[in-house]
Amino acid sequence: MVSKVLVANRGEIACRILRACREAGLASVAIYAANDAKSFFVELADEAIALEGDSIAETYLNQRQILEVAELTGADALHPGFGFLSERADFARAVSQAGIQWIGPSPSAIERMGDKMTARITMRDAGVPVIPGEEIETEDEDEALIAIEQASTRVGYPLLLKASSGGGGKGMRAVERPEDLLEAARSARREALAAFGDGRVYLERLLTGSKHVEIQILADRHGRTIHLGERECSVQRRHQKVFEEAPCATMTEEIRSSMGKAAVAAAMAVNYEGAGTVEFLLAPSGEFFFLEMNTRIQVEHPVTELVTGVDIVREQLRIAAGEPMSCGELHIRGHAIEVRLYAEDATQNFLPAIGPLTVFQPPEGPGIRLDTGVRQGDEVTPNYDPMLAKLIVWAPSRDEALQRMRRALDEFVVLGTTTNLRFLRELCDVPDVVDGSTDTTMIDRLWPEGWTPTLPIEFEDGALMAAAVAESAGLHRKASVSATPNEHSGPVSPFMTLNRRYP
Amino acid sequence: MQHQFRTPEGPVEVTVAKQGDVWHLGEHRATVEPDGRLRIQLASGGSALATVAKVDDTWWIHFEGHTFCLERIEPGASQSGEEGGLTAPMPGKVLDVLVQVGQIVEAGQTLMILEAMKMEHRILASTSGHITGIHFTAGEQVQQGSVLLEMTEDED
Repeated sequence: MVSKVLVANRGEIACRILRACREAGLASVAIYAANDAKSFFVELADEAIALEGDSIAETYLNQRQILEVAELTGADALHPGFGFLSERADFARAVSQAGIQWIGPSPSAIERMGDKMTARITMRDAGVPVIPGEEIETEDEDEALIAIEQASTRVGYPLLLKASSGGGGKGMRAVERPEDLLEAARSARREALAAFGDGRVYLERLLTGSKHVEIQILADRHGRTIHLGERECSVQRRHQKVFEEAPCATMTEEIRSSMGKAAVAAAMAVNYEGAGTVEFLLAPSGEFFFLEMNTRIQVEHPVTELVTGVDIVREQLRIAAGEPMSCGELHIRGHAIEVRLYAEDATQNFLPAIGPLTVFQPPEGPGIRLDTGVRQGDEVTPNYDPMLAKLIVWAPSRDEALQRMRRALDEFVVLGTTTNLRFLRELCDVPDVVDGSTDTTMIDRLWPEGWTPTLPIEFEDGALMAAAVAESAGLHRKASVSATPNEHSGPVSPFMTLNRRYP
Repeated sequence: MQHQFRTPEGPVEVTVAKQGDVWHLGEHRATVEPDGRLRIQLASGGSALATVAKVDDTWWIHFEGHTFCLERIEPGASQSGEEGGLTAPMPGKVLDVLVQVGQIVEAGQTLMILEAMKMEHRILASTSGHITGIHFTAGEQVQQGSVLLEMTEDED
């Protein structure tokens, strides 16, 4: 039984989960740090409990405090969202031991997929193709370096060194030439040791020109493990996805079927439960290789929801309650694209930006979905991830989805904080994106010196004129878009009453 | 009215003039919509709405799918236009005088061209009217705030 869900997250994904709880008729609890007191997700919860402390470690990563809130509020289930504690097996275990239903896979599944070397071995044993490479198990620096050097001759160049406990590009090094190997290995080990307390690295062949394609999995306790087709997320900057779509433009029914089978095998190999994602590299030859499994809801899950009609978060809640998943036979219908709206300056190497969201006007109309963590009037602070919202469109075909995304991005108005809106808009016109031939190196290849917008001079004239007219006409004095609420409204009048007469 | 904004390429001087409900900048035109947005009609014939918001000294403008961040540089001296005197926005040199005393001019018409900080600045008529005085000729140096020309506004 699940009746009250504590959402141990913040921002956009907390909003998504809290809304799903509301729709499912489940009570919800939000937790928030002091600097999130006025954030949107707090407003969407039935109950919101302030966490003590300032840093992320003291708040959203504080297992003890979160469990105390769960007990205090009588929550009987906990949804970790993504990031923060979502892939911490020890937390999943502590939650279960407190008698609270963890909305996600078992601690052992998280452990076996969390360590990338273990995941590689598990997948290979389950018959899932892995990227040609070798694991180096030894912890000893000198032994590891000798083993890496020997393995490199078998793996071949260019190759990739990856930290076994890695994530987000940390402890990862691409090595083009044998003479660079030892220095790269030393620095990857140093970085991994500092970031994860585990210096083990392994080798993989670097597959250039490949697509990042991932399969969405759902598994319930009634013996059903299914896949919901693929998403392509090749367009990345600094190992961060920015543009995701379903289905993959170059996917064939054959590859989808075998990739789907491999993903289901991967999930079943660790007795998976709930929603998860198996990531693959898809080579131009049509060969695909296991990258990693994410044992949680994924940022880009909405594109799968739009093309399959499955509410993945709602299914997570159902599965956690011990019910069978509700979706029947699946068909992929139309095309969906998601872009991530970041508060960042795309012209300054994607440097995070802060400021007020003086105007925040998302696009509307057919086929448009906005999963947001912010509202107009909110303040973007440097405290958390700069992702503000996700804009997702659906259309009957890929071409129409791109057309719709262009229209939607043109309509999207965000003023007061620099965002990547224009970068996203111009991505929609890049030939590789238009013809679906995107690969993971596209952004670096297209803009090696950094991105700058293509701006017709006349538009700048128009903007300068708008600023001059707005200033001359005193528009800033007339319309105060983000009026600060009056904190000192004085004592409540004793004469304020509500008189309602009933016939 | 004259304003100066900081752009990534450097400061830009913008002078707009109002005639009836319509603002002019050269051949570009703008009107203020009831909801506070601006309808901009570009000289090329294109027309689009601009959404504007001011944060501190900076105007944020959304126009044609682009977002602009234009910091307003506070004017040093007198505001020009309103009282009939057209003043120099910054110290510089007069490059050209395009009108004569007594001439009838239209709002937005270029009256004089100044050069300052290696940039050309056009002095535009803020309203329609006629020129009643010209105080400098081409080649002369002007100080910031110097009255360059005088004009009277026509009664509608």
